Amino acid sequence: MSVSRLQQLKGHIFPENKITAMAAPSPLSTHVLNTAMGVPGSNMALSLYRQDPTTNTWSLLTSRTTNADGRCPGLITKEMFIAGVYRLHFETALYWESMGETCFYPYVEIVFTIIDPGQKYHVPLLLSRFSYSTYRGS
Amino acid sequence: MMSESSPLTSHVLNTADGVPAARLPLSLHRLDPRIMIWTLLSVGSTNEDGRCAGLISREAFGPGMYKLRFETGSYWESLGQNSFYPYVEVVFTISELEQRIHLPLLMSRFSYSVYRGS
Repeated sequence: MSVSRLQQLKGHIFPENKITAMAAPSPLSTHVLNTAMGVPGSNMALSLYRQDPTTNTWSLLTSRTTNADGRCPGLITKEMFIAGVYRLHFETALYWESMGETCFYPYVEIVFTIIDPGQKYHVPLLLSRFSYSTYRGS
Repeated sequence: MMSESSPLTSHVLNTADGVPAARLPLSLHRLDPRIMIWTLLSVGSTNEDGRCAGLISREAFGPGMYKLRFETGSYWESLGQNSFYPYVEVVFTISELEQRIHLPLLMSRFSYSVYRGS
């Protein structure tokens, strides 16, 4: 077998540019829980923004929908997660509307400051139609 | 100011220290639906008991989308501490002329909760 053919076969078996490992977990995560019904807040639309420190304007980083477990895996990459002020926007009224209910809060926004982007941050939302809470988790 | 008749009241509690959050600045805004801009209605601050009333009159508190903004970051700074949240904004919908809306805020440096009380 020729050297070039062997190299070609090697390329099939050990593709150098193939990402074989799972992408590193997002340094920022969220989890929506419907505390009224005791279930995850699934299929809720949310958006993540970062504030430009010089202009104070907000830039949309990503728009997602929570999965069946109320989570959004891979919300942001390590490279994108720099120090700054972030805003998580949850479409809470739309969520309750999809279940035929109203919500006192048309949306929920949680604004938080990331000083050390090397840490992991978990920003959950525990939600009912008339109340919500959040905390810095792990 | 007749706080008993104030249709919107709030009560901010510092759950980390088990005390009312006194002298916390806050402001009330209403969304103008025609141009989608927030209009500042009033500013105030919590008293020694962490309470605030008189932000709006009964006549002015009609149906619409409102935002109550709590300057929580400034509050913790005044105590020489930092906080995960630079401020807390609670956006809520009033669908009819309400008798009373009580919106407490329970907060620590790393958590907060809001609910529609009475």
